Amino acid sequence: MVPQETRDLARRLLAKEAATDKTSLSTGSAMSRVYERLRWSLCALAGVAGFRALASRALTLAKAESPNLSAIQVIADGSLQGLSEIEPQIDAHHDGGEVILVAQLLGLLVTFIGEPLTLRLVQDAWPDAGQDDCNSEDGRAV
Amino acid sequence: MSTQDRVTIHKLPTGVLGLDEIVGGGLPEFSFNIIAGAPGSGKTTLAHQFVFANASPERPALYFTVLGESAIKMLRYQQQYTFFDPAKLPNSIRFINLSQVVLEKDLGAVLAEIIKEVEKANPAVVVVDSFRTMVRKPQGSPSEMDLQSFIQQLALFLASWQATTFLIGEYAEDELRDNPIFTVADGLFWLCQAAERNSIVRKLQIVKLRGQASVTGLHTFRITDGGLQAFSRTFGLSGHKKKEPGSKRLSIGIPDLDKMMGGGIPEGDSVLVTGASGTGKSVLATQFIAEGIRQGEPGIVAVFEERPQAYTDRAGSFGLDLVTPQHDGKLLILYLRPLDLSVDETMNEILEAVKKIGAKRLVIDSLAGFEMALSPGFREDFRESLYRMIFALTGIGVTILSTVEVDESFTEFPFSTYSISFLTDDIIRLRYISIEGQLRKILVIIKMRGGSHSQDVREYEITSDGLVIASERLKGYERLISGIPERVSQSGEKE
Repeated sequence: MVPQETRDLARRLLAKEAATDKTSLSTGSAMSRVYERLRWSLCALAGVAGFRALASRALTLAKAESPNLSAIQVIADGSLQGLSEIEPQIDAHHDGGEVILVAQLLGLLVTFIGEPLTLRLVQDAWPDAGQDDCNSEDGRAV
Repeated sequence: MSTQDRVTIHKLPTGVLGLDEIVGGGLPEFSFNIIAGAPGSGKTTLAHQFVFANASPERPALYFTVLGESAIKMLRYQQQYTFFDPAKLPNSIRFINLSQVVLEKDLGAVLAEIIKEVEKANPAVVVVDSFRTMVRKPQGSPSEMDLQSFIQQLALFLASWQATTFLIGEYAEDELRDNPIFTVADGLFWLCQAAERNSIVRKLQIVKLRGQASVTGLHTFRITDGGLQAFSRTFGLSGHKKKEPGSKRLSIGIPDLDKMMGGGIPEGDSVLVTGASGTGKSVLATQFIAEGIRQGEPGIVAVFEERPQAYTDRAGSFGLDLVTPQHDGKLLILYLRPLDLSVDETMNEILEAVKKIGAKRLVIDSLAGFEMALSPGFREDFRESLYRMIFALTGIGVTILSTVEVDESFTEFPFSTYSISFLTDDIIRLRYISIEGQLRKILVIIKMRGGSHSQDVREYEITSDGLVIASERLKGYERLISGIPERVSQSGEKE
């Protein structure tokens, strides 16, 4: 189970990209942009194969939690296929598949390299984001 | 060309304790270096230490990973070391994975990718880990010419871009001769590890280093929580001026023994106290240290056979207070017995202690315990290592008193079991003798390099005041040093 702080971070990253929807001409969903930013950053670090392995694991864990993600697949270059088939979350008390998938990916990073480094990678992927975007609501990093 | 006309080559800290001294003060800036060695020998950790010691946001480090350990796992493990500063990632240290380019393209594309990233980041440090896997990919291995051209272009480019570079690779020793990479490299760091009985011994060698003199030979190193720590063969004392021997004599704290030695031990001498178990070697050594402290000369006791507390307690039973001086920073008792030490590591500990308290006196109690604390491989070099250690320590003015146990024999009079007498300036021999149904003890000065000494054979006792020498030499016996003396009459006849 991914810690609440990591889910919070995933929510904030998705919310940040969703807000960008309204202020720019950006393409794709918030989920797709969050994932792509992480993919870009992590492929540079771990290579395509390394990222693809992490993403596949994260997707498997996320699917177990949210059957809503069943149509999604990680393809050869590490990107996601089938994102458009995720149904919007209508239950405000439960996280949607997007949050779960991003949280699982971040959670795996936390498991492997720890919170401080994960946070730094996130900050690197969102250089325009303020410190608050990458901290949990109580001010604690990820 | 005069010295002032020559270009100054700046030296960068290696980030590895002890290594700066070995490479001659630091690694030459803009040099192109190879770290070679077997898997697990510490190559990646060494590169990380250099990277963390030198990378800054203005001049970052680029760490290219290639087909070896994944960056995620590398970060997972390397962050366990104390030198790993997460605040340096990713602004000061950037990891870039080149495996896709290596797998799918040729060396030209790899070079182009490295050039692109270097031009973008303007790094001070570039690491390619592992370079060996890059040029040994399964398909389409480059020809020797391609490889040589690639290495030369890479070296040329990175030096021109003012980057200090490390290429890391698993190389065997016999590849040194004909691999073009070793010709191009400015510096070649060779790390090796070998299992010797139950111990692992790690050594490093600076095979070449252009531009400055490094300390030659094999240096032991250890991988600790702080990363690699290297121990120079010269114990970090290369370039130190040897202290000229003075005329000062150091009291042992046993007035009669001082007299026998012509006023005490010449300062800077190495003294060997030998004798069988229970003859009072450690007592004598403790008195030597305690007397030094009384005279304002801080001391160090390196013990191998008993714990510091036991050593202190035993000194207390002779009325010698070793507790207060430890609190006052006048005495350090080092307890060293991890069983796989090298002499160099031990020496490093002792030297650090010498510097810390300004020690003038050192007791090694005992050489047998010291030898046992060493890894088996180092025991083979014990005499040579001991020679280097004693030479280095006495060279900085420390007076050393070592104890060594010898098997008591009634047919021989050995000075030590180590054949190390030549290493010492002075030898004091303690031994048991059998007289009139009693096991008693005698003491004799065997040798004093610094001058004349008493030829007397003196009886002594271990009392509550320590080692106390009888006021007169033992008369009326011959063959005392055999341990089974014979009484002779005043006329000289055996009784």
